[in-house]
Amino acid sequence: MSDEEDQHMYQNEEDDEGLGGGEEEEEEQEEEEMNENVSRKSKPSRHQYDDEDEDEEEEEDDEDDEEEEEEEEEMHGRKGKKRAKHRHRRSTVSKFLDVEAVVSDDDEEDEEEEEYEAEGFITNEHDVDESLTRRNHALLDSARHFEEEDMRSPEEIARAVASRHRDRPAPYSGDMNEIPQRLLMPSVHDASLWQVRVKPGRERDIVFSLMRKAIDVEYSARPLSILSAFQRDSLPGMIYVEARSSKQVQEACNGLVGVYPSRGIHLVPIEEMASLLQIKKQETNLVPGMWVRIRRGKYAGDLAQIMDLTDTGEDVGLRLIPRIDMNPRDDASLDPQGKKRKKPATGAGSMRPPQRLFNYEEIIKVYGRKNVSKRQQAFVFQNDTYKDGFLEKDFKASALISEDVNPTLDEITQFTRKQDGTDDSLVNLSVIAEASRKAAIAVLQPGDHIEVFEGEQAGVHGVVDEIAGDVVTITAQGLDLDGQKMEIPARSVRKRFKPGDHVKVMAGQNADETGLVVSVSDNVVTFVSDMTMQEISVFSKDLREAAEVGSGTNAVGNYELYDLVQLDAQTVGVIYKTERDSFRVLDQHGQTRLVQPHQISMRRDSMRSIATDSEGHELRVNDNVKEIEGEGRKGRVLHTHQSFYAFLHNRDITENGGVFVTRTRSLASLAPKSNVMKAVTADLSKMNPSMVVPTGGMVGSGNMGRGPRDRDIGTTVMVVKGPHKGYVGTIKDSNGPIARVELRTGNKIIMIDKSKLYRRYPDGKLEALDKFPMRNAPRNGQFAVPASPMQGGRTPYNASKTPNPYASSDARTPAWNASSRTPNPHMDSRTPAWNASSRTPNPYAADGGRTPAWNVSSRTPNPYATGANAGAGAGSGWQTPGRNASGWQTPGRAGASSGGSSSYGGSAADGWQTPGRPAVPSWESSWSAPTPAAAATPGLLSGQTPAYTAPTPAAHPYTPGPAFSAATNVPTPGVGGFGNTYSAASNTFDLGDSWIFDPQLAPYVKRIKVRIFGTVKDSEDFTPYEKRVARIVEVDDSYFSSGNPNERRVKVEFLDAKGEESKSIPTKYIVPVPPTYTDQELVVLAGRRKGEVLLIREHPEDVDGASAAEGGIGTSGGRASLKDVDIVVSHKTTPSDVDTVRIRAVGTFV
Amino acid sequence: MAAIPPQARSKHLRACLLCSVIQLPADFKKGGCPNCEEILQMKGSGDRVSSCTTTQFDGVIAVIDPDASWVARWQRTAKYVRGMYAVRVTGRIPEDVELELERRNIKYRPRDQTDQD
Repeated sequence: MSDEEDQHMYQNEEDDEGLGGGEEEEEEQEEEEMNENVSRKSKPSRHQYDDEDEDEEEEEDDEDDEEEEEEEEEMHGRKGKKRAKHRHRRSTVSKFLDVEAVVSDDDEEDEEEEEYEAEGFITNEHDVDESLTRRNHALLDSARHFEEEDMRSPEEIARAVASRHRDRPAPYSGDMNEIPQRLLMPSVHDASLWQVRVKPGRERDIVFSLMRKAIDVEYSARPLSILSAFQRDSLPGMIYVEARSSKQVQEACNGLVGVYPSRGIHLVPIEEMASLLQIKKQETNLVPGMWVRIRRGKYAGDLAQIMDLTDTGEDVGLRLIPRIDMNPRDDASLDPQGKKRKKPATGAGSMRPPQRLFNYEEIIKVYGRKNVSKRQQAFVFQNDTYKDGFLEKDFKASALISEDVNPTLDEITQFTRKQDGTDDSLVNLSVIAEASRKAAIAVLQPGDHIEVFEGEQAGVHGVVDEIAGDVVTITAQGLDLDGQKMEIPARSVRKRFKPGDHVKVMAGQNADETGLVVSVSDNVVTFVSDMTMQEISVFSKDLREAAEVGSGTNAVGNYELYDLVQLDAQTVGVIYKTERDSFRVLDQHGQTRLVQPHQISMRRDSMRSIATDSEGHELRVNDNVKEIEGEGRKGRVLHTHQSFYAFLHNRDITENGGVFVTRTRSLASLAPKSNVMKAVTADLSKMNPSMVVPTGGMVGSGNMGRGPRDRDIGTTVMVVKGPHKGYVGTIKDSNGPIARVELRTGNKIIMIDKSKLYRRYPDGKLEALDKFPMRNAPRNGQFAVPASPMQGGRTPYNASKTPNPYASSDARTPAWNASSRTPNPHMDSRTPAWNASSRTPNPYAADGGRTPAWNVSSRTPNPYATGANAGAGAGSGWQTPGRNASGWQTPGRAGASSGGSSSYGGSAADGWQTPGRPAVPSWESSWSAPTPAAAATPGLLSGQTPAYTAPTPAAHPYTPGPAFSAATNVPTPGVGGFGNTYSAASNTFDLGDSWIFDPQLAPYVKRIKVRIFGTVKDSEDFTPYEKRVARIVEVDDSYFSSGNPNERRVKVEFLDAKGEESKSIPTKYIVPVPPTYTDQELVVLAGRRKGEVLLIREHPEDVDGASAAEGGIGTSGGRASLKDVDIVVSHKTTPSDVDTVRIRAVGTFV
Repeated sequence: MAAIPPQARSKHLRACLLCSVIQLPADFKKGGCPNCEEILQMKGSGDRVSSCTTTQFDGVIAVIDPDASWVARWQRTAKYVRGMYAVRVTGRIPEDVELELERRNIKYRPRDQTDQD
């Protein structure tokens, strides 16, 4: 009651004067109350008079409370002496009221009055007198009250009374308690219950939300019209709303999160309404002695035994095996306070300590003696009590799991053994049985053989017919009861097994184990496992009769029986037995271990591992072998490891599931090897990775069909489906149907299904990958047919293994160059050339004497093949320059070139020299440069001009200089050469240095701004000039004539240092400075518009001069230039004559 | 009107053993039980609150219109204030309260649904 209200009431009283005689009693009460109220208001002053109240604040509060209680008592007219006392203690300040109170006291019994006096409370005479006078006043006053009161209507009086009584405790009547529950059943006049689906777990929140919502909108325009809503813990995902119609429910639920009215608002049938409120959780009454588990915290999941319970059942005293951290952190052990604080942190984050009985000696060793105190029989440590080694601790009942506790044998033996100090297993088992009996009922199934072990029918056994709740109906067997049906409480029966039964474990640690029963003692059945031949004891409740043998499953997680698995860096093992959630593994040292799936780092694949047996034969998985020493065990090879260990399997061996490990060198094949090759060659070649793969298709012990890893590797493909559709790339690797494709664009490798890839030929034709490659197509034909240069009828296979003999002669054939130079056979297999040649049959062997290069062209069915001889065809011959280019890439070539073509023999020389010189008219003028010497100049190594090799005739106008350089350079041909050839599509362009000598450009050469570039890489002499800008002043003929092709030089004058002497710089370091701004004048140095002076119209943003110049360096080899961009140019005088040129094919003026 | 706890999930929600109203212990201490304070006298006494209320209850009812609600009538809370009530409350009121009820000839019905008639 707030003071304000008091005030209000007080005023009420004042106004309401004069109450009728009948109401006097009540009025009196009210006035008394009022007195109190007033007196309380004047409490501060009261302190001055009242000794008792001069105590502490707290006491004052207490008193306050008492007053309140008292007040309530008064309400019911029960005026205790206590009250009287208080009244007199009360204020003398509000004396008027006090006196008034005494008046009412007159009505009380004498007894009270006596006591009142006996206490001698009124000691002050003056006080009494005063009170007497007051009494008169009061009488007068009350009379006045009554008069006033009379003037009001009874309704007003009633209202006043009602308002006074509002918000104060009403007397507890319990008036609804007399009605029997059955009379409260819902009738048709009651509102209905509606079931509403809600988000599971949010039921309670939603009921609360509904309540709050109802209050919120109570006085709004649209109050909720539902009457109630409730939720039951046992009915997850739904709440029930009491309302007259579903529409009202809908409105109420509208806007609440987690309510799904869309899933239907269902009416609860009237007869089910009561049961919704009567649902009772299956209560497991906690009883001392029973087993429970701890729900959470350090002991989560641990078994505990109930020792005692509080009356409310909220707190439970448990006994459990402690988990004391025996390696506490230093600071923790030093400072008990700190430890207490840190304990939760360590408990949560770190591993929880293992279960261990409390050992006084050990604890004081770790924590010190003063941290452990002894009290009677128990120790107190860290505020916990330990008795007999167990922790005795109170837990909240809600923190315990009492259902499905299923204590295991191990757990309970831990408890009981420690308890008695003896190992009385039988007693223990019966304890467990008792504990888990309840669970036993659940596992009974019709058809089970059971026996009755307690009660009247003890000893009877039979077959379960039917189970209804806790009662099973059995058909008894044996003796006089045979065939009789009887009903037995499920608690009193247990499954019955007899020695000789074949059983399977259904639950627990040994689940899925099968075996033969050897002995039965009460409810503990011992059987011999089929798998391990060990005796296992389990409860009969966990057993079923079963015919099957062995564990049910062979796979746990990702691992299966007989998998070779990596256990740690040094150890691998083979799984020889799978258990419920673990494996038995035999490692390579012959040791067995039990591992969990998480302890296995990976599964190993020994399909590709190579090992040889004692005779040097290859040892492969699935070979049948036997030991030649030791026990002479036979077996099938499961896995080999590091060429040294072999894991064998033999069903006849019982140990370790038939798996054993031996050394490969002590094994011999059981099956005779029929392969002749095998017998002859006990070679090590297979050990050599560089030789293994080519053999694959030819020889092999158990695996004849094994070819190269994947023929498609290296193939140029185009993606025909999916997000990368249209992209071209090269297959880098493949794994089953998935290929890793390196895209030309973006230097990206993607994983893609092979079915989405089509082989792409340089001419743009596409073909499904699974089709055989077009071997004799013109493209490959050059190599495929003539490229078998092997002498003496060697098989291609052999040839590939011994590349050296061909170094001089065969090296000229492109195919062989490619393969022989690349040590990695896989790489070879990527090139069609390799495939082609390796498959080429012998017929060409006889032609070994011919120069392969010559063969290449002459044999090619292509018309241009003859172009080597005839100028006419040469033009077309250049259309496949990639081939030719690589064809000429012999290292010997460069050296030979200066000496002319003699090393190739006449025809070869012809073939080499002729290509297209007369064929391309645009060369005419520039052809002076490409003498053989020039062509062979490593200075031109920068070659590798895919642009040049582009199959379009448009490429021809480019100067031949680059062409030759392309042909001559490529120090790493092989795959690189081919790969690049195929990737000719990439638009790299290299100017080379021939422009310097180009007569067409002669007028401009000395005006062109050049830069020294690339000296850092290979020439220290010229490094100081690197990146300097210069102008060519003179072609240095002295070098030119010296015949050293590497050293064609020009004299340059550096623009940044006037007066400095002109320097002679090799042409290979000289690159034109590209244009940098729009409208700059430039001269085209190569291409269609060679020699023209143009203006730059559009300059690509991303090209700055430096990077362009960098890109412009003729990096020898196949590295594509990074900045190969076109710029838009137009003619100076006729701006409409717009064209594009390569930025690197132009030069700017000084 | 009973105090409506702001959080439904609160672990501290307590239900009155006599009338099953659910409030926070602080509310019980501050204002007593809105229905049976007269007999339980919990106001201001934490001990009294913990002996006359419990956390062990099951099911929550939002009683919005006690007079008209059948649910409230079935739960025998129809005469009580609006508020949150528990469907089932485990435990019994303290003995002194039980004696007092007996003295007043009020039949005590435990709220744990043990005796249905």
